[in-house]
Amino acid sequence: MIDLAAIVSQVRQGMIPAHVYADPEIFAAERDRLFARSWVFLAHESEIPDPGDYVVRRVLADSFIVARDEAGVIRVMFNMCLHRGMQVCRAELGNASHFRCPYHAWTYRNDGRLAGVPFHAEAYGGEDGFARAGQSLLPAPSMATHNGLIFISGDPDAQPLAGYLGDFTYYLDFYTRQSPAGVELRGPQRWRIKANWKIGAENFAGDSYHTPHTHASVVDIGLFREPKASQRIKGALYTAGPGSGTTYKLPPGGDFADQLRYVGYPDAMIGGMAAAWSDRQRALVAGSGFMVSAATLFPNLSFVHNWPQVDAAGTVVPFISLRQWQPVSERETEVLSWFAVDAAAPEDFKRQSYRAYLMCFGSSGMFEQDDVENWVSITDMAAGSMARRLNLNSRMGLTSEGKPLKPPIADFAGPGLAYQGFGEYGQRHWLSQWGDHLSRDAR
Amino acid sequence: MTAARPLRYGDPAHLDAHQFLVEEAALLDAADYAGWLELLCEDIRYVMPVRVTTARGAGFDSLPDMAHFDEDMYALRKRVQRLATDHAWTEDPPSRTRHFVTNVRTFRAAPGELRVESALLLFRSRGDTREADLLSAGRADLLRETADGLRLARREITVDESVLRTQNLAVFL
Repeated sequence: MIDLAAIVSQVRQGMIPAHVYADPEIFAAERDRLFARSWVFLAHESEIPDPGDYVVRRVLADSFIVARDEAGVIRVMFNMCLHRGMQVCRAELGNASHFRCPYHAWTYRNDGRLAGVPFHAEAYGGEDGFARAGQSLLPAPSMATHNGLIFISGDPDAQPLAGYLGDFTYYLDFYTRQSPAGVELRGPQRWRIKANWKIGAENFAGDSYHTPHTHASVVDIGLFREPKASQRIKGALYTAGPGSGTTYKLPPGGDFADQLRYVGYPDAMIGGMAAAWSDRQRALVAGSGFMVSAATLFPNLSFVHNWPQVDAAGTVVPFISLRQWQPVSERETEVLSWFAVDAAAPEDFKRQSYRAYLMCFGSSGMFEQDDVENWVSITDMAAGSMARRLNLNSRMGLTSEGKPLKPPIADFAGPGLAYQGFGEYGQRHWLSQWGDHLSRDAR
Repeated sequence: MTAARPLRYGDPAHLDAHQFLVEEAALLDAADYAGWLELLCEDIRYVMPVRVTTARGAGFDSLPDMAHFDEDMYALRKRVQRLATDHAWTEDPPSRTRHFVTNVRTFRAAPGELRVESALLLFRSRGDTREADLLSAGRADLLRETADGLRLARREITVDESVLRTQNLAVFL
């Protein structure tokens, strides 16, 4: 039996018992205490634009149909037939007015309501024996959207999503609201890695320290020059609400449009950002001079924004990716990686940005390849008995008394706390929330 | 899928195409990526769509706007350059790979071009503790006759899984 309280206590001091990255008991606790309750991302509204469109997504072992019903309302339904428990929809996407169970042909409207039961009169004696009215596929206990991002929670009394997102909402807009038209997602690419799900989430939450070394090769080949250590160390690391992330320092002196041009945005899009973002959001780019890069929204949705060179002429084009670390087991994770782009962007930009994404991130991305090699290896090492004797040091940026090595950036435009330079602020912020969940009772 | 009949196995054009694919596989298994690039036309398109599970009547089984690879020569050169650096950790130590190429069918295309379909099974082994990975795919290639012999002008890789069971695509198919 593991001592969860002792593990969480260690984690809160920035020392991580290494076995948590490959421990089936920890995984069970995460399932029952964290994923049973936390807001978890499922899909984006742009993936199901028309009535009847649906995608099927999981939260651990639970399969959900995420559908737009005939009235245009987004529905999230547990994908299990009320009668014998068959998976009602076995495709991963499509368009359907109804879902019919393959077993006995119970049929549900795309809003989840039971529409048909074969031989209802003969077999059940009609409504008296089995009242169809009010029968529906189980809805997700809580469901809410923000910027078109669809989240669910297993807790029917979950804190409202807007309150949960809190100060991270400010940062979310840089990835998912670059114009009033919002963002559109393409994909996802899906692949399985033999790595614990927490490692990717923590990496994106604030690990700017790995970039110069892990990603040295993409600097070597001139694909993306910013990750070199001398540049990366100037970035700000922020923690805000349930999220945290990394930024790059922009060249000094540029105004709002200059900075966005520097990372490759065409003027046609800069107007959209000026219209969609608040004064305070614009000030992060123009005043503080930081551009968002990687981020994680607790527990398992991450974001990335980079601006590589996409051709031999040196054209710089930015891209955005959303990615989810979907736990399969304590030693395996399914990665879902989407390309995201402003819905109002010019078609040529969308095409170029998509190419930039494919070169850098996703299943074949030249950044992501080296990340995953590290994460698989960590998980492998964490599975043995020696790992139970080792606490991994996640205290970068703290003194021996646990105080920050330096003060936060005083004039940082964004909410939360931000520090310049390397430090594991974001990872500890993420782990602190993980500890909060694991300290609660199982649902 | 094609209405035309494939060339007979004894046809010299088929034999040339088949030999091209086998020689290409040998270069990839030897990690001779610079040599592999020389087999590609400058206007290459190298595409591997994301396959998806859909209902039989849906009319599609890959995403129209998302791929695992969607490459031109610039992108492929960058990938090869990266693997040649001292910092491409995911392939250092390198994977042991074997590209099994089979079910080769050759069709006449435009003058000077052959369309070649093949089945590929890629075995990939890393380290000494991990299970090996398998990737199964169909390939539809366009081979162009040049002064230096056949060259690859287009490849579409139809992977047979919707969720890949390999840690990344730091390999070519």
